Amino acid sequence: MRRADVVWTIAKKELSDRLRNHWVWTVSVLVLVSSLAIAFLGSAPVGVVGVTGSGAVMASIMNLSVYLVPLLALVMGAGAIIDEKKRGVLDLILSYPVSSGEYFLGTFVGYVFALSIALIASFVPTGVVLHWTSGIDIREYSLLLALVLGLGVAFLALSFLISILSRDHGRSVASSVLVWIVAVFVFDLVLVGVLVAYPGEIPTSAFGALLLLNPADVFRLLCFSWVGSAASPLGLATVAAPFNVAALTAVLTAWAVLPLLVSHRLFHRRLSMDKLV
Amino acid sequence: MIRLEGVSKRFGAIEALKPLDLQIEDGEWLGVFGRNGCGKTSLLRILVGLSRPSSGEVLIDGKVPGDEDWRRFRRSLGFMPERISMFENLTAEKTLRYFARLKGTDPGKIPVLLERVGLAAAAKRRLAGYSKGMLQRVNLAQALLGDPRILVLDEPIEGLDSHGVGEFLDLLREVKDRTVVFSSHRLPLVSRLVDRICVLSDGSVKALGTEDELHRHLDLPVRVIIHPSPDSNGSLVEQLNELAAASVVSRNGRIVVNVSQREKMRFLVGLERLRGVHDVRIEEPSLEEVLLETS
Repeated sequence: MRRADVVWTIAKKELSDRLRNHWVWTVSVLVLVSSLAIAFLGSAPVGVVGVTGSGAVMASIMNLSVYLVPLLALVMGAGAIIDEKKRGVLDLILSYPVSSGEYFLGTFVGYVFALSIALIASFVPTGVVLHWTSGIDIREYSLLLALVLGLGVAFLALSFLISILSRDHGRSVASSVLVWIVAVFVFDLVLVGVLVAYPGEIPTSAFGALLLLNPADVFRLLCFSWVGSAASPLGLATVAAPFNVAALTAVLTAWAVLPLLVSHRLFHRRLSMDKLV
Repeated sequence: MIRLEGVSKRFGAIEALKPLDLQIEDGEWLGVFGRNGCGKTSLLRILVGLSRPSSGEVLIDGKVPGDEDWRRFRRSLGFMPERISMFENLTAEKTLRYFARLKGTDPGKIPVLLERVGLAAAAKRRLAGYSKGMLQRVNLAQALLGDPRILVLDEPIEGLDSHGVGEFLDLLREVKDRTVVFSSHRLPLVSRLVDRICVLSDGSVKALGTEDELHRHLDLPVRVIIHPSPDSNGSLVEQLNELAAASVVSRNGRIVVNVSQREKMRFLVGLERLRGVHDVRIEEPSLEEVLLETS
């Protein structure tokens, strides 16, 4: 019970700190404005301005999420742990009856809550507007929001790993942006390049397995497989063999859990060796 | 009682602390003195369990603490780290509430604690507007949460002006009924507070003891300043040279003789017999000189 109190106390403090961060709210508003703009202007290139069909809207919001949510999560978590160490707060807290595991878990939980609040604050109003205007299915939209949260948590876990491996906040942010560029742009471009270079030579099962190496693509595959309205696969997902939803969910969960476990292990090891920062 | 047995600390090729033994009795005030980089912070971090020694053991009340023992130990410990940026967005009261929850102590005593460190009037102001001295008081207040029996203070007066140092030391005097380990490179300012002084240099304990014991241990020379009488014929310097086995310097009408502690009494008795001495003043080496000589 006492340990749970400690974790929750640290989580609440982190949540409060994150919600004071203007950058988080800026990105949150950006997501809100962009998703509403997509909903209203998505069909402009074909001569129609106004709310389009719910399937196209869902697909557009999913694509927007793939770009912005990882960026929000990665930059939000870039200063986790490392900033507290620099400020001396980490040493002070660990001189209290608090273990490194409790501190780490509390910090992560606080960040997850902050990220979730920022995403819910931008996605829920969009969903309400879209339900009234284009009649999107609330259940499907809620499912999409749950997957967006899962995507955010996976990239947040990656940002913790980057933060612990980095020497200062600046390097951590730079590495996070690099990871974002690779995950969102470069990874798919490389796979497209491979497809073009070796047409018909790569089995769809192998190609699908390669997509699982990128949490952003796992999110896309899950959306295509799970959210009915977004089930008109675009891009690389059309090349991959269909996946079981449970398997994809397990992979996205693994993308959240494994980096977190590795970063906690590294955190604990670096603390005991006095090598953190 | 805290006992360190053969404790050392290495950072790669750098030996921050060479194997040392140290015993801190219950209720004792120990001042850890040394220049920057001498190993003070490494020693204190090991003491509070933030850093593991590369070799040796830290014994708390005679045994190596396990995980649960460490938790118990940390509840009875207050630590002021050397460098800390407190939460600027929080008030002093909310900051202490946060740390009280982490320690599992009664937050109901926070107003009394704020009163004790002189921050009751500013308790509801954000720390962003606090002076360096006030932030150090918040830092001390968090260390005093739960009324710990052991206080470990790492450079607590660093960065404070002389007024701030005075105020901070007055606060410390009020919490004297506990074990305190206090590091500083300005220890002469606080030497009267501590029972024993541990002088560190290059990661080793160069001296350990009371102020008097350090003086005796180091045997730094006493400075005897002699004012010759107006009728002194100039032979006084020669006579002093014969009397003292140390340096004799004549400067600005005064004669300064450095005499070892062992020779001091013999020299003074001999000085009484000399003619041409108008006035004599004896200067003992200051603690600062003793410590600088050692470290």
